Amino acid sequence: MKASMLLNWIARREFLERLRDGRLYWAGGLVVMLLFTALAVGWAHQQGAHAEQVAAQAMDYRDWLHQDKRHPHDAAHQGMHAFKPEPPLSMVDSGINPFIGSTVWLQAHRQSEVKFNAAQDATGLQRFGNLSVGWILQVLGPLLVIVLGFNAFAGEREQGILRQTLSLGVSPLRLLAGKALALAASLAVLLVPAAIVAAIAVAAGAEQGGRIDALLRLAAWALGYAVYLGIFVFLVLGVSAMSATSRTAITVLLALWIGQAVMAPRVLSELSRTWFPSPTRLEFNQQLGAELKAVSDKVWQENFGTTERWGRDVPLSKWGIALRLDDQASYPVYDRHYGRLWDTWEQQQTVQEWSGLVLPILAIRSFSMGMAGTDFSHHRRFTTAAELHRRNIQDLMSKDLVVHADPLGDRHFSYQATPDLWATVPPFDYHSPGAGWALRHQARSLAVLCAGLLLAVAFAAFATVRQRAL
Amino acid sequence: MLRAIGLTKQYGTHTALDRLDLDIRGGDIYCLLGANGAGKTTTINLFLNFIAPTGGTVEINGVDVTRHPVATKQDVAYIPEQVTLYGTLSGLENLRFFAGLALGHELPRSRLLELMTEVGLDHAAADKRVSAYSKGMRQKVWIAVAIAKAAKALLLDEPTSGLDPHAAAEFSDLLRRAADTGVAVLTTTHDLFHAQQTATRVGIMKRGRLVESLDGEAQIANTDLQSLYLQHMRA
Amino acid sequence: MSIHPPQGRRLLAVMRQEIRLMLAERGPWVVGALFLLLVAYALGNGLMQTAKRDRAQAAVAQADRDTRAGQRVQLEAILAGTAQPTPFENPADPSRMASGYGGQHALLPTAPLGPVALGQSDLFPSQYKVTNQSRVVFMNPSDIENPWHLLSGHFDLAFVIVYLLPLLIFALSYNLLSAERENGTLRLLLSQPLRLRTLLAGKLTVRAAVLLGPAVLLPVAVLWIARHAGFAGASSAMGSATLWWALLVGAYALFWFALVVAVNAFGASSATNAMVLVIAWVMLVLVAPVLLNLAVTRAAPAPSRTELATQQRVVTAEAMKRYQDLLGTEYQHVGHGAILMPRNGKIEIAGRALANYKIEREVDEAIRPALDRFDAQQARQQQLLGRFGAVSPAAVAYEGMTALAGNGVRRHARFEAQTVAYHEAWKAFFFPRIDARDAFTPAEFDRIPAFAWQEEPAGLMRGQAALAVLQLLVPSLLLFGLAALRLRRFSVA
Repeated sequence: MKASMLLNWIARREFLERLRDGRLYWAGGLVVMLLFTALAVGWAHQQGAHAEQVAAQAMDYRDWLHQDKRHPHDAAHQGMHAFKPEPPLSMVDSGINPFIGSTVWLQAHRQSEVKFNAAQDATGLQRFGNLSVGWILQVLGPLLVIVLGFNAFAGEREQGILRQTLSLGVSPLRLLAGKALALAASLAVLLVPAAIVAAIAVAAGAEQGGRIDALLRLAAWALGYAVYLGIFVFLVLGVSAMSATSRTAITVLLALWIGQAVMAPRVLSELSRTWFPSPTRLEFNQQLGAELKAVSDKVWQENFGTTERWGRDVPLSKWGIALRLDDQASYPVYDRHYGRLWDTWEQQQTVQEWSGLVLPILAIRSFSMGMAGTDFSHHRRFTTAAELHRRNIQDLMSKDLVVHADPLGDRHFSYQATPDLWATVPPFDYHSPGAGWALRHQARSLAVLCAGLLLAVAFAAFATVRQRAL
Repeated sequence: MLRAIGLTKQYGTHTALDRLDLDIRGGDIYCLLGANGAGKTTTINLFLNFIAPTGGTVEINGVDVTRHPVATKQDVAYIPEQVTLYGTLSGLENLRFFAGLALGHELPRSRLLELMTEVGLDHAAADKRVSAYSKGMRQKVWIAVAIAKAAKALLLDEPTSGLDPHAAAEFSDLLRRAADTGVAVLTTTHDLFHAQQTATRVGIMKRGRLVESLDGEAQIANTDLQSLYLQHMRA
Repeated sequence: MSIHPPQGRRLLAVMRQEIRLMLAERGPWVVGALFLLLVAYALGNGLMQTAKRDRAQAAVAQADRDTRAGQRVQLEAILAGTAQPTPFENPADPSRMASGYGGQHALLPTAPLGPVALGQSDLFPSQYKVTNQSRVVFMNPSDIENPWHLLSGHFDLAFVIVYLLPLLIFALSYNLLSAERENGTLRLLLSQPLRLRTLLAGKLTVRAAVLLGPAVLLPVAVLWIARHAGFAGASSAMGSATLWWALLVGAYALFWFALVVAVNAFGASSATNAMVLVIAWVMLVLVAPVLLNLAVTRAAPAPSRTELATQQRVVTAEAMKRYQDLLGTEYQHVGHGAILMPRNGKIEIAGRALANYKIEREVDEAIRPALDRFDAQQARQQQLLGRFGAVSPAAVAYEGMTALAGNGVRRHARFEAQTVAYHEAWKAFFFPRIDARDAFTPAEFDRIPAFAWQEEPAGLMRGQAALAVLQLLVPSLLLFGLAALRLRRFSVA
């Protein structure tokens, strides 16, 4: 019999048996039900958030343009808001979005942080997890694979069937391949329909120009999960081959699952924080404030001969320039401090991604969020863009003051700019980066996942070849 | 002591026991014979309240078993075909525990060792783990428990199966000694030889019904038990 | 023959036997050691994080004190004529002291049981800098924490108990009756005058002791030591909170033991029992709380934050328009430093400063209904959770533990309410002085309101804890009842 035919034979029988013993129905059915619930909820949320964001952003800019004549500095103080767009794939993986805000207030003088995250408006149970397709696949997916495949080898060994099969001269590796194919097919039967529905939802949820990108992201996202579940397919089969009884197999597998899905993320989270500590709010504010003051003092001293800002010795005719100098001196300071903070966060995340080699859930979590556009690198890109826009507003206002207010001598604040000035500020037009950008940023987690798959396959092969027939 | 009145047990449409009447008094050694599935073990299980009767009553010492399941256990000692004890503990520890449960108070070590000697287990064996015991040795520990309990009735399920002739003979002596002290003994068995040697009364069961009864050692001695048994089985 | 053979000594015999059996096997040692390790790690983690938070908070409080002291010294120097006030950092000027320059922090201290359940302590800030700005500005609830960690959750004692204790209970007792039956010893046991419930009680008690010992006694001991060594906060309520926490953990463990007994009562094989129990764990601990949170946040959805941001901007814009002229007044202090000095108990407040003060005042008033809606929504969510939370014992236990540790939503809502009250007192103190242009004297200075945290009344904490315990006991009793029914028909053969 040709090798591939034999493979299909083995796979088909295995698949049929699984179908008949009912596991696929109730275990798979439960998971699929949860998946569709999560997708429905995610869809509703994403659509609502997206519509709201678009409307709010438009209204915000319109109100900016329709400001009356007023002093440019006051306009900068009122500022504008930047709303983070809700990516279409957030309906399958909400990532860190519930825990980080989506609204930035772009106002004068300070780099604003994002405000109001959804988790604070939810109950304490939010910490148990967010029902999303990604969460279900990450946490319950491996359990499904375990339930479907734990006795693939061990059960047959117990019943004496394995002994018979091997006595026919079937290569153990071919047996492994057949069983892996069957297990994968069982998963496919459950997950492919859900994936198709998800694809339709994502395509419908994305904006006109972003459909292709959204689907590309979804394809990569699905690929990542295929690799992730593939790791478990081979891991489960390997453990089943190694175990004397089905009972041992499932005990070991359950212990591994609980360790990696429930415990490890928390432990690694704490560990990465010990390794790369991030400052408390007070420490951060103090350090930032101290450096801002030092830099500002230097600027004022050099240009105006005094460190008393806006004091008695600096004439009003210089206030436009002073504002510009002060602001521009602060930009690098903010960049340094926030940059350091965010780099620390990214370092912490890198630790976890690398540990994905042993704990695949951490790698897939990162990859899933990254491809969905709900991870920190996307957020950082947004806040950076928002900050640039804020600086743009500020610089335009300062420039106008220097040109119009300073020459007035001692009447700085009585200068009122006309709406023409407001119109020179472009709207905050932020577009999420493309799938390619996301993939580049997630190269490490994808590599770790693939490496994990290779390790799992090697392990399964080794265990299968070395297993006892009895 | 052990009475069954119209005792019936049905599993759906299958009748395991059909209106069984038994009256076993102190001093009787009643051997219940029959093929697998005839209802012998069912009868024992009903006396022990391991299953509930569908009809009729079962009494131990005049007390209805279904109404006072725990109380009636005080008067009966049960010896199953397969005795499994707690393998990680020693024979003595198993005896101490089960005897304690039987009597409601702990027996001193001296008494426990006495019991072990009485059943033929030496002190060295007493402290070894039960996982190293043979089937016969485990049964002996259990007999020691039964002796300690000093119950008025004994229920035995296939006691001699798997025992060599010497051990089986020892067992018969034990039963006779017990009957002499006024204990009512009900034992199920396939072993026709053992039945002929030991029983004071014999019953043959077939498909849940008592189809033959022999009373008295004289009658039993004068019957070709084997032919009678096979006759019923083939009919 | 006694009609009711006494079960007391038989129960002790069973318990002694169980202990002997468990000591002889390897499994219970592994389970016990593992649990001890987890509890120790979780507790250590909680203590470390709480200590860090306490240190940070102490630093904030100290910084406030130092700043205030420095400002007072400056004030006295100004009044004595030895120092010149700067325009934006003038302690004599009530509009400056009311704003960021003089603002002080409202602090939420950690409760004595804080290390046990870190709860929402990383999500909600435990300090707000209160100024005359609208509370929508300074009560921006963002602590800087890596959102990945917020997503991952804590490895604290509450996690170990809620997630992992049930699994350890399963490991020790999934085959409570099925093992005896499969071994054949059940027949031997029940052929003695031993009630089935005596056997079960004996087995359960021993296992409960093995697990609840580390779960309850160890944390209590560690917390007590930590308190005396100065690592953790102390308070009179600690004893009561610890007692209720022990009861809560006990009730939660009881639920899982009840489930184990009920599953065993159905008489299936050990393997089936194990599978049913694991599935129950997945549904009750992993899935149910997530679904519950979803249901509650859909039933009582939060008002839109985006809308709030928009409303805030609109309200601010309107206020700014109203005080346009005032905003257009020039600062007078340039070249005329003397203008910043207090004169005859009065001080000149710059037009723009006045304008900003008035704008913030209006914004605060205008935005209040919107913020009240958020508070009302949160209260409604908590109400729903209280009513339907019993669907998942894991949710009840977790919420109960975080509440006892003082890191729950309720205590934080209290902190927010007290911060708002402090804000009102702050405004009530400063606004008349700004309106009247009163300069500060040292005596007045000392009367600036300070935040004093009023702890939750012990009765409230006790009541909520009792409710949680009850919500755990009811399903336990139902399960025991179900078990009793099934055990009546339990087939030994």
